[in-house]
Amino acid sequence: MTAGTAVLGAPRSSSLTSFFRVLFVGGIIVYRALFNWIRPAIYIPTMLGSPLFQILFFANLGKYSGVGDTNFFVVGNAVQVCSMSAIYGATMTLANERYFGTLAQLLATPANRAALFLGRTLPVIANGLLVSVFGFIVGALFLDFSMPASQIPALALVVTLTVVSCTGFGMMLGSIGIRARDVFFASNLAYFLMLLMCGVNIPIDSLPGWMQAISKALPLTHGIAAARLLASGETLGSVAGLIRTELLIGATYGFLAFALFRYFEASSRKYASLDRF
Amino acid sequence: MPVVGAPVVEAIDLRRTYKTSTGSLKRKSLEVEAVRGVSFAIEKGELFGLLGPNGAGKTTTIKMLITLLIPTSGTARVLGLDVVKDARAVRSQIGYVFGGDRGLYERLSGLDNLRYFAELYGVEPHEQKRRIGELLEMVGLTGREKERVEGYSKGMRQRLHIARGLLHDPPVVFLDEPTIGVDPVGAREMRAMIASLTDQGKTVLLTTHYMFEADALCDRIAVIARGEVVAQGTPGALKSLVADKTVVEIEVYGVNDESIERLRRVEGVSAVSVEERDQLQLLMVQSAVGAEITPALLAQFDGAKIGRVVAREPTLEDAYISLVEGDS
Ligand SMILES: Nc1ncnc2c1ncn2[C@@H]1O[C@H](COP(=O)(O)OP(=O)(O)OP(=O)(O)O)[C@@H](O)[C@H]1O
Ligand SMILES: [Mg+2]
Repeated sequence: MTAGTAVLGAPRSSSLTSFFRVLFVGGIIVYRALFNWIRPAIYIPTMLGSPLFQILFFANLGKYSGVGDTNFFVVGNAVQVCSMSAIYGATMTLANERYFGTLAQLLATPANRAALFLGRTLPVIANGLLVSVFGFIVGALFLDFSMPASQIPALALVVTLTVVSCTGFGMMLGSIGIRARDVFFASNLAYFLMLLMCGVNIPIDSLPGWMQAISKALPLTHGIAAARLLASGETLGSVAGLIRTELLIGATYGFLAFALFRYFEASSRKYASLDRF
Repeated sequence: MPVVGAPVVEAIDLRRTYKTSTGSLKRKSLEVEAVRGVSFAIEKGELFGLLGPNGAGKTTTIKMLITLLIPTSGTARVLGLDVVKDARAVRSQIGYVFGGDRGLYERLSGLDNLRYFAELYGVEPHEQKRRIGELLEMVGLTGREKERVEGYSKGMRQRLHIARGLLHDPPVVFLDEPTIGVDPVGAREMRAMIASLTDQGKTVLLTTHYMFEADALCDRIAVIARGEVVAQGTPGALKSLVADKTVVEIEVYGVNDESIERLRRVEGVSAVSVEERDQLQLLMVQSAVGAEITPALLAQFDGAKIGRVVAREPTLEDAYISLVEGDS
């Protein structure tokens, strides 16, 4: 510092430190800000209550109609309920910025956008995983779900990767929500479409052809198939192809989500397209 | 660091057009020329005021300077950095505060709002605590920082906005109506705080609709109307534009538009403004003639009851009114 030049500004972190702090510390703070169902009084009925009843409903319906065994329904639904977080939660972490009118403030910061974006996914993934684990516990406690204990680590891995991939899809809805009003309508639609088409309760091959085509392009489908095989004792190696496809689908949606986020950011500067600026 | 003597904020012929559409079935597209060739330069340590009526283009101008909007044409630089090409570098050097009570994370505490933005601005972790504490003290929120923002009053939100804008101790600060919704005592404290920013060597651009605030705070002012700068200078220089005028204030109970039109046509009258009070209207009539014009003015109200009438020296507000009314 030379005499006469007042150097102003608080000391800043290196860009790498800042990247990781925005990713982890920032990600958690902003998740608390934007995830609507964080308080226990809302979290328990929505994030745990509704998956509980969903699993009980379909497993009992399956038992009654004799379509499949309990394991089929427990695994399918326990994996799918992660989208309570991976779809709804992910949508909230972006779309709610618009609701609170904080987008302008956010976009006026120099923060690394990838860190901003990815940081929001980590709590969503953790929460989705928690809901799925809860789903499996429900299956073991209230239904006669059973699987070899030795398969648990492999199943945990597959469920985690499926939650990650499903979050990629949810973030895409979130990005759309930055621009579009009422995106939660689309989240509802996505949740139930996935319940219908991803082989959660209806075997894929008994769906009409066009639905089968859609199901192959959605997250969850391949993850659920892999999880079922693992629960019935197959090796991780034998489901590697399914896992790869699931991840590829999730990554594609994830990249698309980030590209949309950046596109909406750029176009907001050009067309003043964000509601509140 | 900028070249010595080079302006810290520089707007050169800035223009911004908004394209909007109306109607839902038969969509008609509309173009609004919000900013039409605005130029000014703000020197280091200066407190520069941007005044103008609603819709004049002040916020649009600021949004271009803080990188949130790309100018339709023209250029702008902050600390020598181009606001379009070097947007990220500009962002890390500036702070900005928009008036209003939105734009905060309602479910988080005031403290967590600040912590999040401290991260986004890359403020060093060990520096954050000190800096946040200092700012909470400065804006008078110490002791309330752990409460959720959803329970904050308008004024508290406004204070939090200000603290948020200063977290990274930016050398350049943009304040868009920062005292809106703040009580008189609070607004006074806030003005002292704004004045202290330039004492710290910061460069400040301020918009406000309160003329006394602009008069008290600003080193220089640009008056903007319909997207164009109509005058620029120190508050003193702007006042001298109307120094030779007299202002006659007339309280009238129920004045009609015709009377006002007639007033405008009285010889010597240069501007008339109307302020609605509870049961009466306060008319401010500027004229070059002096107090002797008063009888001629009073003759224009057919029968309306007239209250207090005073002639006085012009203020910055009168200069402002004459500027934004003058060429309408
Ligand atoms: N996003 C937008 N889309 C379309 N028109 C806009 C948009 N934002 C502002 N405008 C228009 O641009 C013009 C200037 O608006 P601006 O907000 O810059 O005014 P201002 O001087 O800040 O006014 P105020 O004192 O009321 O805050 C207005 O006519 C406004 O309606
Ligand atoms: Mg404005």
